[in-house]
Amino acid sequence: MPAFAATKEATETRSAPKTELAPPWNVVVHDDPVTLMTYVTKVFVQVFGYAQERAHRLMMEVHQTGRSVVWTGAREQAEVYVQKLQAFHLLATLEVVDG
Amino acid sequence: MWAGRVDEGYVFGGLSATCVETLKGVPMLLESADERVRARLLPDTCVDAEDEDQWRRHAVPELERLFSSRAQLVRRDLAAMRPLGASGTQLLLIPNHHVNAWLAALNAARLALFALNDLEARHLEADGMATATAKQQEALLRIHVLAEMQAVLLGDYEIESGGSLAEWDPDAAPPA
Repeated sequence: MPAFAATKEATETRSAPKTELAPPWNVVVHDDPVTLMTYVTKVFVQVFGYAQERAHRLMMEVHQTGRSVVWTGAREQAEVYVQKLQAFHLLATLEVVDG
Repeated sequence: MWAGRVDEGYVFGGLSATCVETLKGVPMLLESADERVRARLLPDTCVDAEDEDQWRRHAVPELERLFSSRAQLVRRDLAAMRPLGASGTQLLLIPNHHVNAWLAALNAARLALFALNDLEARHLEADGMATATAKQQEALLRIHVLAEMQAVLLGDYEIESGGSLAEWDPDAAPPA
C-alpha cells in the first residue's frame, strides 16, 4: 500500500502541465432515397447560411457518394447543427476528426 | 389536385378523399411510436456509446417536442380545410408562415411511409411500382402525392400569385 502511494505521488510530480486542444467534430449528412434534392439544398442554406451554389454542391456530394461532411468545428456547435438537420429530418450524424 | 399561390400562402385544391386521408396521416406519422419510424426520424447519431446516450438524453426530447408542436400546427391547418364549391373535393391553405413546418412534416411523413412499408430505393425509380406489392404501391402513391406538395412549397414549379384567397370564388378557376 505505501509503495503504491509513493509511486502515484512520483508520477504526479513528474507530470508537466499540458493543454490539449479539443479535437474538431464533423457534421455528416447521409444519403436517403426519399428526401427531395431541392429540399436538402434548402435545408443547407437555412441551417448553415451557405450560398445556394455551395449548398447544391454538398447536396450533390451526398447524393453521389452517399455522404458528405457539411461542417467541421467545435463539438458544441456541431451538435447544434446536427440537431437542426435532424429537425428537418435529414440523416445527420456526428463524428470526431481523428488525429 | 392542383396548387395555387395567393397572398396568404399556398392553396391546394381538388383534394380527393384519398388525398385528404393522406394529409390527415401526416401528423400521426410525425408522432408515430413505431420503432421503424423512430429509428429514421431520431437516428443513431454518435459512434461512441456514451456520447449516444448523452444525445438521447438531451437532444432527442427537444426534437420530439418540436415534432409534436409541428404536428399540432399541421392538424390546425388541416382542420381549416373547406369544401371546394360543388366538386366534392377539399381546399387547403398553407399560410406563408407555416411553409417551413409543412415542408418538414411532409418529409417526415414520406420517410415514415417508406420505413413502415419496407420500401427500398428501387421502388422510387420509374419502374418501381411494377415490383411493389399492392400495399407498397398504395404507400408509394401517397409518398408521391406528398412529394408533389413539397415541390410546390419548395418553388420547384413556377406558380404565379393569384391575389387574395378571401376574394377568390371557389367555384371559379383555380388561382393562377
